[in-house]
Amino acid sequence: MSSQPLDRPRAQREGFRAAGPSDAELLVAVAAGSEPAFEELHRRYRPAVENACRSLAGGDADDCAQEVFTRIWRKAALFDAARGSAAAWLLTLARNVARNVRAKRRLTPIPVTEDALIEEGPTLDRFWLEAALERLPPQERTVIELAYYDDRSQSEIASSLGVPLGTVKGWTRRGLNRLATLLGDEGQAT
Amino acid sequence: MTHERAWERLPDLLHSREQPELLAHVSGCHACQRQLFLLGRVDRLLRQARPHSRHLRHQSVLRRRSVSLLATLAAAAAAAVVLLLFLPRVPGAHRVVLRTADGRAVARATIARADQSNVEVSLVARGMTRGGGDQFLLWAQPDKGAGATPVGRFMVDRSGSCRAHFNLPTGQHWTRLWVTPASDPAQVVAST
Repeated sequence: MSSQPLDRPRAQREGFRAAGPSDAELLVAVAAGSEPAFEELHRRYRPAVENACRSLAGGDADDCAQEVFTRIWRKAALFDAARGSAAAWLLTLARNVARNVRAKRRLTPIPVTEDALIEEGPTLDRFWLEAALERLPPQERTVIELAYYDDRSQSEIASSLGVPLGTVKGWTRRGLNRLATLLGDEGQAT
Repeated sequence: MTHERAWERLPDLLHSREQPELLAHVSGCHACQRQLFLLGRVDRLLRQARPHSRHLRHQSVLRRRSVSLLATLAAAAAAAVVLLLFLPRVPGAHRVVLRTADGRAVARATIARADQSNVEVSLVARGMTRGGGDQFLLWAQPDKGAGATPVGRFMVDRSGSCRAHFNLPTGQHWTRLWVTPASDPAQVVAST
């Protein structure tokens, strides 16, 4: 698989280059046996899949996540972009694997944690967002997470990172625009 | 202001609308309107994800149970809306969901071939906000080529609901739909 970003007419028209091939394009490449595509998909979705497994499969999260990516490698050819987004397909796969893991675990009594009672697993939106954040350049992701998750002002972020305020504003704008373009191109619009 | 400059600065409108030059460009630029709509959704998604970030995970069990209960109720309500919106289904048709900036599904459209010259767009709206009146305009854009095309006007009832049917010419793959108040075509209220 080429390491060059695939052609993205809309992004080019808007003077903005999205972060590499889309998830759907990666799945197609994985189906054709591309290991680099699989590695990129793994990089993007590993945290989201691990979180989904943690909330759905509890103590067997590691086994669950490993099984999810094994199935992605084997079953990528079953992905059909006309039937839904790549994120939806991956989340469904993770849920199915977690369900199987839980079913096997029921054979032996285990203590039920509060998390297992409370968590219903991630929504598709959150699952997609987590993977989309992985596609941002590190500086853009950092400023967005500090602003939204840590409730820091842009001045505070600039101070803590040791960069000018204008740089933080620029990274934030570019990161948000990149996420919005990803959402429009391949997100949960339908 | 150039389009590239406006595009770069669109995220600023999430926090302040007091930027007349930028707003003037956006009011006449469909691409910027759509991007601004998507930015609104991203902003909402990030805010919703916040309580689950690594820094805020250690909340009280009581609060988490309350959140879980609310989430369950919200999910049940959403499931009911989805059932209303998704049925009946036309085999072989292309279906899209139109959502508000906060991600709420307010309409579903089925796009199916009607005859040699037309595709039919069947719109089912539920819970459209009537802030700008009860008249709305449905717009469409093909995945390639032409720009925004007004599909037709529709009127919702007091609950913001309606069913409407429109025709579009064949020869294009109509993938993007959005709704604006009939009185303000620049204000996107829901989009695919």
